[in-house]
Amino acid sequence: MGNRIFAIAANTFRETIRNKILYTILAFALLVIVLSRFLADLSVGELTRIIVDVGLACIHLFGLLIAVFIGITLISNEVERKTVYLILSRPVPRWEFILGKAVGLGATLALVTFVMSLTLFLVHLGYEGTPEIGIFIASAGIYMELVLLVCLASLFSSFTTPTLSAIFTLSMFLIGHVSKDLMVFGGRASSRAVRLASDVLFYLLPNLENFNWKNEIVYGGVHSFSVLLLPAGYMLSYCAAVLVLASLIFSRKDFK
Amino acid sequence: MSTENAVITVDRVRKSYPTGFFRRRVLVLSDLSFSVGKNEIVGFLGPNGAGKTTTIKILNRLAFPDRGDVTVFGEEAGRRSESRRRIGFMPEQPYFYEYLTAGEFLGLCGHLNGMGRSEISGRSRLMLSRVGLDGADRTAIRKFSKGMMQRLGLAQALLHDPELVILDEPMSGLDPVGRMEVRNLIREMKASGKTVFFSSHIISDVEALCDRVIMLDKGVKVAEGAVDDLVGQEGIQYVEIQFSPVPPAEWVGKAGIPKGAVTVQGSAFILRATDFEEANRWIERFREAGSQVRSCVPVKRRLEDIYVEQVGGRNFREAGMPARSEEESRDG
Repeated sequence: MGNRIFAIAANTFRETIRNKILYTILAFALLVIVLSRFLADLSVGELTRIIVDVGLACIHLFGLLIAVFIGITLISNEVERKTVYLILSRPVPRWEFILGKAVGLGATLALVTFVMSLTLFLVHLGYEGTPEIGIFIASAGIYMELVLLVCLASLFSSFTTPTLSAIFTLSMFLIGHVSKDLMVFGGRASSRAVRLASDVLFYLLPNLENFNWKNEIVYGGVHSFSVLLLPAGYMLSYCAAVLVLASLIFSRKDFK
Repeated sequence: MSTENAVITVDRVRKSYPTGFFRRRVLVLSDLSFSVGKNEIVGFLGPNGAGKTTTIKILNRLAFPDRGDVTVFGEEAGRRSESRRRIGFMPEQPYFYEYLTAGEFLGLCGHLNGMGRSEISGRSRLMLSRVGLDGADRTAIRKFSKGMMQRLGLAQALLHDPELVILDEPMSGLDPVGRMEVRNLIREMKASGKTVFFSSHIISDVEALCDRVIMLDKGVKVAEGAVDDLVGQEGIQYVEIQFSPVPPAEWVGKAGIPKGAVTVQGSAFILRATDFEEANRWIERFREAGSQVRSCVPVKRRLEDIYVEQVGGRNFREAGMPARSEEESRDG
């Protein structure tokens, strides 16, 4: 079982790592990160904070683009190009296929996020002269968010078209960053049904703010990776639930 | 075919797909039943849209029947991983991961089949060589021609030395030499004890290779049996005799030759007799008229004739076109 999942994950990693779109997005991201050093020169006050702030925002945005636009095509491309026939006609349960694809893209995202955060770390080090380990902590938080979005993209692409999957995944990204507000505002409603609905939605929708350590890092409040333990647990549980649902949908899918 | 000895059994399978905005279901297979025995080569014939590929997908658990039972090696098709390890499958017009080389792709297939690294390496080289792709293991699949893709499809299906090989249109896209090589490969599979079930549009290939044939049209089985049984034990449609020189027109007019049984081609007079007895009678009479026999050929029914009777005629009529004439069918 492990060998098969690893084989599918390795193949997915190879597929994404040979994708020209990935390199285009990555090159643009690295360029913006490097340029943030010059942006700091043009700013007044808090110069190093601007580098970290712009750099982390850049890792977040470009990571999101990679996660969504490569993530949504991973399963749908296999179905459209019929390469999935050559995998699923072998002794490979469908859930292993879904998990292998998610693990493979997770590995690609880990590499891409690491390259971007290392670039930011070096740009910051070159400017400030002191290493800022917090960049890697915030990047790890961003990475967890991206993995969760990839799992959601896998879920959506197991039953709908790539365009709709992209819309749903981007909607989840937006809602995920305001889901706590939904509960707060819902809690103020006079109707009990609305309060209940906002509670249910809060627990069903991903709370992506759990992974957001950017402000704490920029203002120097976090120096240990231990802050990531609880978000990692949340991410793993949420991803497991989403992938189980995706596998259930995919397990009875007819390939026409 | 007794079901006890069967490698594949399909029992009263019905399959429909939802289509369009209102998800109206279109029937693809209707109460389809057949079986494939151990070490048989069985051909699956039918026009486009007959339901061949759907049946093959169901056998590989890529689609699920609405009702009916499908078993492979005595177990529900593809349910347990173990039974899928015993099957080699090549889809119609196989698509591969174009960013991989042929060697990397076979490596992936081998790992998914639970093969070890050294076994994969040895079998990959052997299979690439058997399908005529020696030395192509480091070539990127995106550089492959259609024929090479088809060959790679066969190599991946045979990589893990399966007992049952299911091929969807294996000759499609191949040149005549490639087709001959695939035919030989299928014969070798049978000789090594494997069971082969394949679909094809190319009737001559099916006729040349198969122990049995199953014909499908619009999701319904229209014929099944050994090729010899389908074309008839004797199989002779008529006897064609060629005489030369052409006898005098007056003699021909008085000889009582049935209308439509005669063709004149240059200096040859071709007569079609219903059997050998009648052929002998005509040979005697033509000799008396000074015309000599140049050839005498029994024309057998071919699988194509059966196919046209069962499938072609109906489809042509539904399309408002005449069914193929006997002459056309004889010329292929």
